[in-house]
Amino acid sequence: MPLWFARGLRRGVVTTRYPARPDSSSVFLPTPPAFRPGQLTRETADRIVAACPNTALRRQGDELVFDVGACTTCGRCAAAAPHAVTSSGEFELASTSRSALVKTIPIRGGLR
Amino acid sequence: MTPEQDEAEAARQVRERIAGQFGRSLHIRTLDTGSCAVCEQEIRLLTAPHYDLQRLGFFFTPAPRHADLLLVTGPMVRAFDVAARKTYEAMPGPKVVVATGACALGGVYRPDAFVHGEVSAVLPVDVWIPGCPPSPLALLQGLSVAVGRLTEKITGLTFTADNASSGGAG
Repeated sequence: MPLWFARGLRRGVVTTRYPARPDSSSVFLPTPPAFRPGQLTRETADRIVAACPNTALRRQGDELVFDVGACTTCGRCAAAAPHAVTSSGEFELASTSRSALVKTIPIRGGLR
Repeated sequence: MTPEQDEAEAARQVRERIAGQFGRSLHIRTLDTGSCAVCEQEIRLLTAPHYDLQRLGFFFTPAPRHADLLLVTGPMVRAFDVAARKTYEAMPGPKVVVATGACALGGVYRPDAFVHGEVSAVLPVDVWIPGCPPSPLALLQGLSVAVGRLTEKITGLTFTADNASSGGAG
């Protein structure tokens, strides 16, 4: 049983105050990846693009295009390049425009 | 005023009107257009005691004629075209369409003979909620954004991590 749930039961408060207050359970949620541009070479970018089972990642020249809306937070990119990809910790992802969900990440590359 | 500014101003006025009308009570109709039902499972969790959707004035309704917001999941299978349009047309205006989950946003299925691949191919979508599935908290944030109680956060996010914190090889 998660600790936040047990604490809530003991205090007699089981309802979250979200969105007025952050919910303590949110740290357990799977979240989309965040990329480290300094670690992101073209080769690494191509590797994580190949690892993506959806249409969430593609490389455009020296930019990695990440479509948050297409991401299923499967974690395969983080498994393919653990030094360049980490978890973003963001779950509040709703948007009023589809294009705002598409992010471009610069590839600085050239380290190797 | 350029046409773009004019359009942005009109969009702002519509958003304000919707927020004013839906701010306190909003009835939601869910529409499954071929999803794997995990999105539905998360949506059902919203009515559970921990999330308690009703405290925010959101209610689920079984009839589109009573609904203000259409919560659409799934990749929009072509067999569902007529039903989706009829559901949308049966809703009284002003109405909001929310696409929920990676399938509905066009991330999982490509358009082919069986699916459109995304909800916006058939219905005019107002709010997009990413996630596979979106957690109940993400859904709550999405619904709050749809009625104008919260402002969206995603525009300010870059999805880049600080390089200094990396312990990996260079």
